[in-house]
Amino acid sequence: MFRADPVARTGWRWGGALAAMLVFQSLVLTAIFWGFANDNHRRAIEHGLADDCTFFALTPSEERPEELRERLSRDIHREQFLALFDPRGRLIAGNVARLPAASGVGRSIVAAVAPTELPGRTSDVARLTVCAMPDGTRLLTGVDLDDAEEALRLVWRSLLLALVPGLLLALGVGLMLGRRAARQVDAVRRLTARIVAGDLRERLPVGRRPDSVGLLWAQVNAMLDRLQLLVADVRGIGDDIAHQLRTPLTRLRAGLERGLREAGDPRAFAAVIERALAEIDSLLGVVAALLRLRELEDHERRSRFAAVDLARLIEDACDLHRPLAEDRGIALLCQVRAAATVRGDASLLMEAVANLIDNAIKFGPAPGKVTVALDRDDAGVTVTVGDEGTGVAAAERALVTQRFYRGRGAIRGTGLGLALVKAIADLHGFTLRFAERGSAAQLVCTEKAEPLIPLV
Amino acid sequence: MTRILLLEDDAGTATEILLELAAAGHEALHRSTLAGAGEAMRESAIDAMIVDRQLPDGDGLDLIAALRAEGRRTPALVLSALGSLDDRVRGLRAGGDDYLPKPFALVELVARLEALLRRPEEGRATRLIVGPLDLDLLGGTATRAGRSLGLLPRELKLLDYLARRPGRIVTRSMLLQDVWGYTFEPNSNVVDVHMGRLRRKVDGDGEPALIRNVRGQGYVFDVPG
Repeated sequence: MFRADPVARTGWRWGGALAAMLVFQSLVLTAIFWGFANDNHRRAIEHGLADDCTFFALTPSEERPEELRERLSRDIHREQFLALFDPRGRLIAGNVARLPAASGVGRSIVAAVAPTELPGRTSDVARLTVCAMPDGTRLLTGVDLDDAEEALRLVWRSLLLALVPGLLLALGVGLMLGRRAARQVDAVRRLTARIVAGDLRERLPVGRRPDSVGLLWAQVNAMLDRLQLLVADVRGIGDDIAHQLRTPLTRLRAGLERGLREAGDPRAFAAVIERALAEIDSLLGVVAALLRLRELEDHERRSRFAAVDLARLIEDACDLHRPLAEDRGIALLCQVRAAATVRGDASLLMEAVANLIDNAIKFGPAPGKVTVALDRDDAGVTVTVGDEGTGVAAAERALVTQRFYRGRGAIRGTGLGLALVKAIADLHGFTLRFAERGSAAQLVCTEKAEPLIPLV
Repeated sequence: MTRILLLEDDAGTATEILLELAAAGHEALHRSTLAGAGEAMRESAIDAMIVDRQLPDGDGLDLIAALRAEGRRTPALVLSALGSLDDRVRGLRAGGDDYLPKPFALVELVARLEALLRRPEEGRATRLIVGPLDLDLLGGTATRAGRSLGLLPRELKLLDYLARRPGRIVTRSMLLQDVWGYTFEPNSNVVDVHMGRLRRKVDGDGEPALIRNVRGQGYVFDVPG
C-alpha cells in the first residue's frame, strides 16, 4: 500500500534504516559482551582447576582421599566436583562416579559427569580437568556450569528483550523523520509544479526561527522574488513593445487603406507610399533600438574596446549637432576643460553623447544655450550636457532611463533614447546621472572604473 | 555593366535585392550556398559580391576569408541579421569591405555596393577640380566659378566626399561613417542639417544645383554639363 505513496515510502525507508542500525548495534554489543564474559569466566575456572591439581599433587598420596573429602565438605553450594581414581579408573574417593570418556590433558573441557552426591541427578555439565598424580592415580577436578550459564542466558535474554522497544522506537522515529523530510521535499515539489504551470506567486513557508531547511526555503523564496521581478520585467517589455508597435502599425494600415481608396493618380500613390515607408522606417528604428539595447546589456562588446579620446569625441559631437542647434535658435557651447582617454567603443560613446545633446536641444528652451563640457577631477572624468530648461524632475529620474518612457509630454522619438544612453554607460562602467539643480545629464567615469586609461 | 555575385539564402530578400540591382543596371548572379558561391567565383568574372552571414552550409565570412587567402581582392559587402558592432568588426576583419546590418534599405545597399565598385583614390589628391568646383584641401578653401564658398572644415570634407562620387547616391549613414568616423543611427536629422547648409553655400541663387537631395535615400553630386 505504502509503495504508492512516496511520503509513506520515504518514512518506511528511514524507519527501516534506523531499526536495522539499532538491531545491528545491539547484536554487536551482545556478541562483544558475551565473548568477554565467557572468556573471563572460563579463565577464572581454569585457574582454580590448575590450583587444585598442583595442590593435590603436592599432598602426600596417603592424605589425598582425606584432604579431598575435607574439601568437598567445605563446598556447601555443591558446585565443585572432585574425585580421585586409581590407575585403572576406579573411584577411590570423591563425588564423581567415573572418569568422563574424553579427557583433555592439561586443558579444561566441558563434559558431562555423573555426580554421586546430588540426589535425583545422574548427569551434570561441568568444566573439568583430569590431572595425573605422581603415584599414578588421577584427579578429576571441575566446576558445575549451571549457575554461570544461567547468568549469561539471563543477560542474553534481557538484551533481546530490550531490542524490542528499541526496534519499535527506531521504526517510529524513522517513520516520523522520514515523513517530515518527505513533506518538506513534497512542499518544494508542489511549489515547483506550480511554477512550471506558470504561477510565480507561491512561496515556501519559513518559520520565525528557521533551521537550515528553513534558510534554504528563504533562499528559494528570494530566488522566486527575483524571478518574478524579471518575468514581470520581460512581460512588461513585451507589452511595451506590442503597444509601441501597434500604434504606428495602425496608423500605417489606415494610411494605406485610405490611399488605396482615395488616391487617384500615380503622384498621390507615391505620396501614400512615401508616408508608409517613413512609418515603416520608424518601426524598424524601434526594433533596431530594442535589439541594440538587448545586445548592449549582454556586456559582450567590451572585447572590442579601444582607446577613445573623449576630448575629440566631444568636439566631434558638438560639430555634428551645432547646425541643428542653431536652426532651433540654440547656441551649442563646447567646453573641453581636460584631456581624457578611456577604453571604449567610440561609436557607442558618440551615440550616447549625441542622444544627450539631442534631448537638450529638444527639451531646452529656445532661444537659449546647450553646454557640453568635459571635466576631470580627482574623482574621475565627467561629460556634462546641460540646457537652460527645468531638467528631469526628481521623481522622473529613475523612470526616464526605462524603455519607452516619455517625460514631459515628449511626443517625438521612440522613448528609447535615454535607455540606450544608460545601457551604453553601463557597458562602459560609466554612471549616467542627472544634476540636482538645473537641467543637466552627466556621464561619469570614475578613476576606479577599469576603462579609464592613464594619461601619458 | 558590372557583374555582382549575391550570396543569400532567403529567397524573398534575394528577389528584392536582384530586382534592385537590375534596376541600378547591374548584372547579378544569385547563389544560396557557400559551395555554389565558391564555384561561381571560380568560373565567372565577378566585380563585387554581396555576402550573407548565416547560410545553410556555413558563414559567408568563410568564403571571403578563403578568397582573400587566395589573393583575390574582389570587393565584398557583408549582410547580416546579426546587427551588432562586434559582428561588423568581425566582418571587416575577415576581409569584408563594408558591412550592412539587416534590416537595410535597398537604396543603402546599392549605394554602398557602388561605393565599393568605384572606390575613389582618397587622400592623395590635395586639389580637386570638378566642373565649376575647385577644392583646395590643403588650404582648406573651396570656390565655385571663382566665388569663394566660405566652407567650414567639415563642410569641405563633406563636399570633397560627394565630389569624388559624382552621380552616385551617398546615404546619410555613409556620410556619418566616412566623414565623421562614427557608425550609429542618429535620432535626429543632424546630417541633413549639415547637408542643407552645404547646399545653400555651394548652390548660389540662379546657379544649377550641384547637390541633389534624393528623398528618403540620400544625396547625389551631379556633375554639370
